[in-house]
Amino acid sequence: MIRLAAALALLAAAAPAAAQRLGADVDCRPTKHDLVYDCRIALKESKSGKPVSGADVSVGADMPSMPMAHNVKPVKAKPGAGPGEYEARIELEMYGEWALKLNVRGPTRDVIVKKLDFREPR
Amino acid sequence: MDEYALGVLTNMGLFSFLALSAYLLLIAGEMSFGQQAFFGVGAYAAGIGTAMWGLPLPVAALFAMALGAGAAWLVGLPTLRLRGLYFAMATLAAAEMFRILFELFHWQREVDGEPVGPDGTQGFRGIRWVLEQGIEQAGYAAIVFGILALVLATLFLAERSRLGATVRMVGEDPELAAVLGVNVARVKLGVATAAGALAALGGALYAHHNTYVEPRNFDIMLGVHSLAYGLIGGLGTALGPLLGVALDIGLLESTRVFQGYRMIVFGGLIAVLLIVRPRGLLDETTVNRIAAAFRGRGA
Repeated sequence: MIRLAAALALLAAAAPAAAQRLGADVDCRPTKHDLVYDCRIALKESKSGKPVSGADVSVGADMPSMPMAHNVKPVKAKPGAGPGEYEARIELEMYGEWALKLNVRGPTRDVIVKKLDFREPR
Repeated sequence: MDEYALGVLTNMGLFSFLALSAYLLLIAGEMSFGQQAFFGVGAYAAGIGTAMWGLPLPVAALFAMALGAGAAWLVGLPTLRLRGLYFAMATLAAAEMFRILFELFHWQREVDGEPVGPDGTQGFRGIRWVLEQGIEQAGYAAIVFGILALVLATLFLAERSRLGATVRMVGEDPELAAVLGVNVARVKLGVATAAGALAALGGALYAHHNTYVEPRNFDIMLGVHSLAYGLIGGLGTALGPLLGVALDIGLLESTRVFQGYRMIVFGGLIAVLLIVRPRGLLDETTVNRIAAAFRGRGA
């Protein structure tokens, strides 16, 4: 227990660095291929609402009820047409609710999680 | 190593805490389907500690462990009166109660102009302590495995002590242990409490790795996996559950070619393994053989 406390104390001494809260609007549309979606991401600063361009964004996904078991290997998003916009194509394993994880690096660092429901087309 | 591989490795470390938690109860003779509840308690408690109260992660993790231990003690008190399948069902029911409580749990406060905290089924976002400290993926993986190594060292020492022998005796033959003067109920409750604290520590680290948790993260699926880790890896040593985690996540990753059907493939492989090795790969006989071989080489 003492060793565990010492390890946790070392962790507490870690040097702080800047990380800013970001927000994102994510819209994923089905493609002609099953379970393949084109996602458009609008990245912005949470406080000011200013678009965040020039960031390195990767998009992964997890099924909340099966963490680890059903997940999507992250893909790198490409810059989109407008300021703060990005595009990524993701391929899911099944229909249902997924938690999209946007890992943002570059001008600022953040991880944004958005829950989306991907339904089977009728 | 790329970021995804590091993430998978970190997940292996994180779920090892849960695996060791279920293993502790298995060697004490009890099969719990509910350790994911304490993993969840740890995740929520540490998340509240850092994201809402501004505590550093180590303090929040200790708080989470205390809460996990308390919750496990409260669950263990009535459920450990039951045996075998009845205990397993009672722990599963308790875990579902915790999951529903997480779904009903709404408590948010404004941090940097944004609501932060548990929001029922919408989950708990913004557990950002690791990001705010500038700790990168590799650094966090090192922290997780460092803490895991300390936990393992403690377990190895405990297993070689009188306490460890008592726990195994209680697990293998509780009647004999009772005849020899061991307070079986107290030992089992103590093990359940320690297992709760260990699962909560894993949950605390998991929440800060993921930055987001929600009630469905802690449902029966995670409970089944946590038990499977020990049963696959073996109950002869604390390394068994870790081997189980590596095989579980390794198999899941290597069967990606089967896409959505890989859980079925994975389930089949596990079933075959358990038929061939009912007490896992590193069972007591194998561990004793390995230990004897090392002693023979040393002599």
